[in-house]
Amino acid sequence: MKVQHDIVIVGAGLAGMRAAIAAAEKSDELSIAIIAKTYPIRCHSVCAEGGTAAVLREGDSFDLHAWDTVKGSDFLADQDAVEFFVRECPKEILRLDNWGCPWSRNEDGTIAQRPFGGHSFNRATFAKDRTGFHEVHTLYERMLMYDNIEIYPEYFITNLVIEENAVQGVSAIELKTGNLVFFEAKAVIFATGGAGRLYGFTTYSHQVTGDGLAIAYRNGIPLKDMEFFQFHPTGLIPSGILMTEGCRGEGGYLLNKDGERFMKRYAPEKMEIAPRDVVSRAMWTEIIEGRGLEGEYGPYIALDLRHLGEEKIEERLPLIRDAAIKFAGVDPVEEPIPVKPVAHYTMGGIHTNVRCETTVKGFFAAGECACVSIHGANRLGSNSTAECLVFGRVAGEVAAEYAMNAKQGRISEEFMKEEESRIYDGLLGKNGDESPYEIKKELNETMDKNMWIFREENGLKEAVKKIQELKERYKNVEINDKTRGFNTDLMMAIEIGYMLDLAEVVAIGALKRQESRGAHYRLDYPKRDDENWLKHTLAYYTPEGPRFDYIPVTITKWEPVERKY
Amino acid sequence: MGVSGWFKLGGRSIFSWAFTFQRLTGIVLLIYLCMHLTYLTTLLDKTGATYESMIALTVSKQFLIFDVLLVLCGVFHGINGFRIILHEFGIAYEYRKPLLAVALVLALAVWLYASYVMYYLTGG
Amino acid sequence: MAEFKIRRFDGKKSFWQTFEVPAKKGMTVLEGLYYIKENLDSSLAFRASCRMGICGSCAMKINGKPRLACETQILFLGDKITVEPLDNFRVIKDLITDFEGFFAKHKAVKPYLIREDVKYEEPKELLQTPEELNEYYVFTLCIKCGACYSVCPAAATLDGYLGPAAMAAAYRFCADSRDKGNEERYEIASSSNGVWRCHLAMECSEVCPKNVEPAKAVQMLRRKTAFSILKSILRW
Ligand SMILES: Cc1cc2nc3c(=O)[nH]c(=O)nc-3n(C[C@H](O)[C@H](O)[C@H](O)COP(=O)(O)OP(=O)(O)OC[C@H]3O[C@@H](n4cnc5c(N)ncnc54)[C@H](O)[C@@H]3O)c2cc1C
Ligand code: SF4
Ligand code: FES
Repeated sequence: MKVQHDIVIVGAGLAGMRAAIAAAEKSDELSIAIIAKTYPIRCHSVCAEGGTAAVLREGDSFDLHAWDTVKGSDFLADQDAVEFFVRECPKEILRLDNWGCPWSRNEDGTIAQRPFGGHSFNRATFAKDRTGFHEVHTLYERMLMYDNIEIYPEYFITNLVIEENAVQGVSAIELKTGNLVFFEAKAVIFATGGAGRLYGFTTYSHQVTGDGLAIAYRNGIPLKDMEFFQFHPTGLIPSGILMTEGCRGEGGYLLNKDGERFMKRYAPEKMEIAPRDVVSRAMWTEIIEGRGLEGEYGPYIALDLRHLGEEKIEERLPLIRDAAIKFAGVDPVEEPIPVKPVAHYTMGGIHTNVRCETTVKGFFAAGECACVSIHGANRLGSNSTAECLVFGRVAGEVAAEYAMNAKQGRISEEFMKEEESRIYDGLLGKNGDESPYEIKKELNETMDKNMWIFREENGLKEAVKKIQELKERYKNVEINDKTRGFNTDLMMAIEIGYMLDLAEVVAIGALKRQESRGAHYRLDYPKRDDENWLKHTLAYYTPEGPRFDYIPVTITKWEPVERKY
Repeated sequence: MGVSGWFKLGGRSIFSWAFTFQRLTGIVLLIYLCMHLTYLTTLLDKTGATYESMIALTVSKQFLIFDVLLVLCGVFHGINGFRIILHEFGIAYEYRKPLLAVALVLALAVWLYASYVMYYLTGG
Repeated sequence: MAEFKIRRFDGKKSFWQTFEVPAKKGMTVLEGLYYIKENLDSSLAFRASCRMGICGSCAMKINGKPRLACETQILFLGDKITVEPLDNFRVIKDLITDFEGFFAKHKAVKPYLIREDVKYEEPKELLQTPEELNEYYVFTLCIKCGACYSVCPAAATLDGYLGPAAMAAAYRFCADSRDKGNEERYEIASSSNGVWRCHLAMECSEVCPKNVEPAKAVQMLRRKTAFSILKSILRW
């Protein structure tokens, strides 16, 4: 089946929905489709808890926000992008307010803000500790107001069609029926989120498998800085569910087995609210050096909130208390929460410029799946939901302008046939003796072992070898469920294929980058090396494996200095 | 799921039980009302003899059990209905559990008392 | 070991199937389902994403009651678990049900802030005190999981009935001090599929995993709707 729209947006998270609204505001003549593999309000963005950064109040300034971001990024962020980004954040907060977002409030009725790791001003705007949830619902509800936005929920996209370096459309499986649907479009925006499920111990939703990244990559669009994966200090044991940074922002302590606030040895000034990479490494060092507490699921660190008191915990962190009780059987009012560092954010992504444009005409990317880059080697907490809002808007507007002057994309019969046979004969209909889930399990183990917080050459080489072996084995997978309607077995198998490609890019990129910067820490190269490595990594697809290239970082105001907290 | 949805009680809370009984008693009362009215409108003799004989039949020991059940339906439907009306005005929603308990106890008490009176009337 | 008895549906026929799952302390029903999918029968279909009770994907009937699979500890229920799809929804496959109508009803109540004086280009900060926020906050917590709708006796007999979640959404906006669109929503709420169809079984509030109290929202909306009708009759 074929469907035509002016703009097709893939992904209905914060970035995708913001883009849809922006495009619809631009012109009500444009027909806009928004496709996602779940219902929009079931996207991963609902998990974001802590806050969204924006300069709203006296005493704060754009320069300060930009500097915090650049410093946090370990100077790998493009400073022109950062300067643009910080200026756009406040408006997005106010728009959400005008659209009904239940922001937490000060007594006088103004929007409240709280401290967040790595920010030198209280600029995290929040809605209790369900910030992402409320933002998503607000955007979704707002989106319902526009007649020219059509939502396609539970469509799983499988490919991108590019001809003569211009985008033509995408193909997707309508999950309910299992039919392939081809969307022809003038412009396509990818807002498909990160790739967190590469890891086993992760805060991400099950659906975050990096599909968009892998599809773009396979179609020749370069991925940028994929070796940078953020680890959040506080993942709940055993599930990896995030204990928001708000816990520490509100005054929680991290304690080792001696009951010591060990952060004083690593970041004496900021203590627990130092940036994530610093805290994660400190925690992991404590664990490696034997100062972690021992539990059923291995060593851990204690996150202590008891001194905050029940009232404050209930008021500011209700979701955290709820989760700790439900998922770990621990009431933070009475006991410290068992945590350890956890894979949390994909800094890298589809290479775009500040206007969300990629190397292909009419193809845009925004949100976590894009790399503009404003996060560089390490994202600051609360900057990514802000990024989704700001660059979602940019992508929507730029795509709308582009679509108003572009000709309709065309998907050839030939492509349609090929895609149909690639998926239904090549994958679903095929026999083999490998289980995709076994492959995924081994991939997760490799990532958790060799591409974790501390990396070194031998481990990375081992990982590359393992991933390539898994890729070979993947060619031989068999999908048990041979039916068409709502075949989640097929969908997951395709996702696992995507993940293998991405893991390879991450591993080789990490192996090549012989320095430590932000979230990427090499035990064998523990220092930042601005002379050789102050540059972005670009990975291009080739059938033999990724080809790497490097481009310079844009520096406007802030020359790299040592990063100390 | 259709009407069977009204009577689905597996895994449900006491509120659903109250709802289901409200429906059930409502249906019973409706049937009774129809019977009652049809019977009265078909009475032809003006002396009231037929009526008297009917009363004599129903106010008897054998009939007591039906009367008692009928009264249960009426009492429950009425008192529970009053509780629902309160809530429907948005009143006392927070106290819905205690209120339901009070309604049930009250219905039980009224019903027991009425049963006792009827038992007494039919001659103990 | 826990025994999972699952009601499955392959598009044509419905049948029960039993699986043995090694249940550890701390393991949720959702993790049990993933265990089955990854190790025993990969054709088992269910929805899930966040596994932290916030996306609303995984509501299903577990031991007779609608619950979020990701928030339900296996050992808490014992070693026999029955899992079925939600009632009042058409089953598509195994535990996956059709939510199209459910979302359409949510859309129908105009669940967005209606206000003429805000500009897209020039947004401004609207003031709202913490007390005003508390007036409606609890109703914003709905994750659209459908648990409430699945136990609603009114929804069982009337397909078009808006249902608890949609009406809670309508009330959430009516009670928001920033909103100016109440009258439009009262009109929808007083339609033949609206508030007057509720017969207060209140089961929705009992099963709601997020304690949204949809039954309360329906009654509050009913009161507001009634007043607005009265007002229009008396031309206040
Ligand atoms: C637990 C947690 C807490 C966080 N807290 C914060 C915070 O406090 N502050 C902050 O700023 N950031 C936070 N983040 C980060 C932030 O939530 C994410 O970066 C952001 O939500 C990403 O949004 P997105 O719109 O780019 O992608 P997503 O929300 O992941 O949306 C991706 C969309 O793409 C769709 N999609 C993907 N693949 C396909 C496919 N093949 N076919 C069709 N559709 C597809 C999905 O269905 C989904 O709709 C947090 C992240 C996590 C994991
Ligand atoms: S009101 Fe509660 S039960 Fe109903 S959909 Fe919302 S969260 Fe689920
Ligand atoms: S998986 Fe998201 S609510 Fe259970």
